[in-house]
Amino acid sequence: MTLEKAYIILGFLVFFLGLFGAIIRKNLITILICTEIMLTGANIILITVDSILKGTDAQIMSLFVLTVAAAEVAIGLGLVMAIFRLKGYEGSSEITHLRD
Amino acid sequence: MELIVFIFLSVWLVLSVVGAIIVKNPVHSILFFLSSVLATAGVFFSLGAELIAGLQLIIYAVAIVVFYVLVITTIPWEKIKKFEGIYLGEFLVGLPFIIISVIFIALLINKYDISSIPVKVEITDNVTRVGKTLFTYYLFPFEVASVILLIAMIGAILLGRKEE
Repeated sequence: MTLEKAYIILGFLVFFLGLFGAIIRKNLITILICTEIMLTGANIILITVDSILKGTDAQIMSLFVLTVAAAEVAIGLGLVMAIFRLKGYEGSSEITHLRD
Repeated sequence: MELIVFIFLSVWLVLSVVGAIIVKNPVHSILFFLSSVLATAGVFFSLGAELIAGLQLIIYAVAIVVFYVLVITTIPWEKIKKFEGIYLGEFLVGLPFIIISVIFIALLINKYDISSIPVKVEITDNVTRVGKTLFTYYLFPFEVASVILLIAMIGAILLGRKEE
């Protein structure tokens, strides 16, 4: 097993830990942090593949992932603030208006 | 030497990520996330992607983390004390799923032979290559990314505005 494979497995581990955190956390802000961790894992896999192929395309993909992460943080935290101002809570178990 | 660097960085990264998803207080969670961002920048450096490592430090560790902390300071924490922490049932159900998924993916990756992939070797440095590719082949997606950022900014302003 070469070191690049270990890096890819590390990226998958970070991605799944972020998914796990997005499932188990109660607070909306920490759920957003776990989404960022998932994007970090995807970035690690992209950069590792680029290091195997000695190319540049996956690095540019991860640049776009960084852009999307910045946009997602802006919109997500705006939504969290709007929910908190309108309803007064920010737990993921309380937001059930579509279900009821 | 590379193996030592990998072990150090991966242990640091996994410990920070586990801390970020387990710890109770959201501010401590953000500090763990900052630590994981630094470890990720180290991983990118060790893989030879210097430009992305620098951008990771600039965008994540400066802009995004400061943005999170700014939003957390505007929320009164006494009112939402009961939303801290994790759901215990989901934790117990999700943990075997995560472990089994990672093990199966690791076995799949280990089976594949990556030494047979043909590579094209270039001798210029990383920043030159990435910049050249970004501003020639990927010029249109680059401009679209700026439009995405502009629309996200407009959306955040509309969401954060006070309703009359």
